[in-house]
Amino acid sequence: MKNAVDVSNILLPLFYLASFAIYLYDFQKDERRLSNVKRLFLFLTLVFHTFYLIARTTAFDHPPITNVFEIFTVLAFSVSFSYFILELVTDIRGTGLFIIVISLIFQTISSIFIVDLFQVKEVLRSNLLGVHVLHALLGYAGITISAVYGFLYLMLYKDLKLNRFGLIFERLPNLEILEKLSFYSAIIGFILLSVAISIGVIWLPKAFPDFSYLDPKLVATFLVWLLYGIGITTKISGKLQGKKVVVFSIIGFGIAIFSTIVTNFLAKSFHAFY
Amino acid sequence: MNLLAISINHHTAPVALREEVHLSTDEIKLFLDELKEKYFSEGFIISTCNRTELYGIPKDAGTSYLELENFLVEKKSISNLSDEHFQKFFSCSALNHLFKVIAGIDSLLIGDNQILGQVKESFQLAQDKQFAGFLVNRVFDSAIRVGKRAKTETTISDGAITVSYAAVQLIEKIFSNLSKKSALVIGMGETGKIAAQHLHDKHIGKLSITNRTIGKAEQIASEIDAQILPFERFKEHLADFDIIISATSSPNLILTKEEIKTTMKKRGNAATVLMDIALPRDIDPEARNIDNVFYNDIDSLNIIVEHNMKKRKDEIPKVQNIIMDELISFFGWYNSLEIAPTIKSLRDYYEEIRIAEVEGYKNKFSKEDQEKLELVTKRIINKLLHHPTTELRKVAEQGINTTESATKIALVRDLFGIKNKSNTEV
Repeated sequence: MKNAVDVSNILLPLFYLASFAIYLYDFQKDERRLSNVKRLFLFLTLVFHTFYLIARTTAFDHPPITNVFEIFTVLAFSVSFSYFILELVTDIRGTGLFIIVISLIFQTISSIFIVDLFQVKEVLRSNLLGVHVLHALLGYAGITISAVYGFLYLMLYKDLKLNRFGLIFERLPNLEILEKLSFYSAIIGFILLSVAISIGVIWLPKAFPDFSYLDPKLVATFLVWLLYGIGITTKISGKLQGKKVVVFSIIGFGIAIFSTIVTNFLAKSFHAFY
Repeated sequence: MNLLAISINHHTAPVALREEVHLSTDEIKLFLDELKEKYFSEGFIISTCNRTELYGIPKDAGTSYLELENFLVEKKSISNLSDEHFQKFFSCSALNHLFKVIAGIDSLLIGDNQILGQVKESFQLAQDKQFAGFLVNRVFDSAIRVGKRAKTETTISDGAITVSYAAVQLIEKIFSNLSKKSALVIGMGETGKIAAQHLHDKHIGKLSITNRTIGKAEQIASEIDAQILPFERFKEHLADFDIIISATSSPNLILTKEEIKTTMKKRGNAATVLMDIALPRDIDPEARNIDNVFYNDIDSLNIIVEHNMKKRKDEIPKVQNIIMDELISFFGWYNSLEIAPTIKSLRDYYEEIRIAEVEGYKNKFSKEDQEKLELVTKRIINKLLHHPTTELRKVAEQGINTTESATKIALVRDLFGIKNKSNTEV
């Protein structure tokens, strides 16, 4: 099993690279025959990644959430999986390369730096923690995709304003669709983060009897959650629309990433397990 | 194949001449009758704003291009039309030309969307007049296949290639569902009218038009189901529209940046598309600097048109490959209609059956009887085929590939299931 994990760890970035390459080629050439091929290849990549995650969990007897590079591989999977579902539901196929590149980066970093941990803290073997982390990562995948669509919106917006009618103009869906994709991804991300936070709040007192509600990680996460909550409510009430929606999403994503880096690597938090 | 064709089109004649030659549906029907009587055993006529073309299988070998040209000139009473205004085609080149026309690569606007339908109508008229026989019907089938394949297998007809349509294409890059949007078209000249028509065709949610001359606006409004705003008061309603297209002949700006700014405030800064397709321009170009305003004028729309035109031109080689495919397929079928290969295929067909049957029962006969069996069965086959072979040879003596001979041969091949492939191998 260990060998299978090692081989898969090397192959996975190559799978993501191949998926990215097909999506990139199709973005440039727009060949009809590639339309389903690229989707199939992404599906195979996700199937292979699922196998890797299961194999890793079995081989090391704990879910792959015990260090930052294990988290990265789950995040890579979450982002591409969320995109795959989105592509199936909306049948909008021209934006995949901008999302898959994120999975490619996360998976490559993970594959290079990941270490095999047989012995982990007992707290990390909790099932409730596994559910908490899964929701949190899918939530982060949601807000990441929302930010990517936000960037795509701004790129197309700029091209339309400057009368540039190149590949971005030809291949991307229209501005209203990009805004909707960004907004719906943010809603899904927000809901999943809400679940993750709720589970965390239930599980925390059991796992860490002496934790503080003023812990930097908790405060930062709550602020990010609040920011998205305000953004979504304002959009639904009609006070926020068009460019402002996507700018809000991008700012929210920036703050979420910044707070994660600060709280995980700089601040001293109970949330750092490694 | 002795398909003959003459064509007067945008490559050979100016628009004034093309207009004079153009045939209405009623004229085509009359002309078909006369062509049938005088020149062709079967044929058809294509007449659009950019071309008038006569195609047909001559009744006798002496029919010349000049006779057909004169026929057209006399019937339409055109004095300034001469031989140099015509393209002439025969056999393979005639079919190749027809395929290029129906695929849209011979059109003034490459990839023209209407030509396939127009050629189909021409075919229908010939069929209604019972002027489409055995060969022309096969030509129709192949031509329509070329037209459809060009549309589905290439992007020869993709993208807008007129300014009005480019404006609509651009609008669709901003809004996802036009049925939920409202649009105002200012000015009902030819350009404004076409733009309004495009929006109507795209099922715009609410369409309003305004024009200095109210009578003209009323006439167009009834055609495209639009509301009319009085020209003097249309500015009061600007905030109601997601899309504003302006195409007046006004020498001065009719919408200033300040007016657009005020409109945007009233709209809560919701995205607004301004299409200025007038010359000189109607809307202050500085409006493009306002947030959520998407301003385009003729120059920027022309960028899209030129870009799309180049992409269509790049698709021509793919269409030509399709045409080559269909030409090979057509002439593969047509050449199979020659007499000698058909007779040989027919004999091979019978011989295969004879051999199979003899092999099946051979063991029930003694060695000596087996030889007799071979002899007798061969004689039966020869006698059975004697009459059909003689008749086919008589057909051949009438001339290669006359309509009658082609019909008889095709019938024999169909009845006995003789395929082109076996013939090619002969």
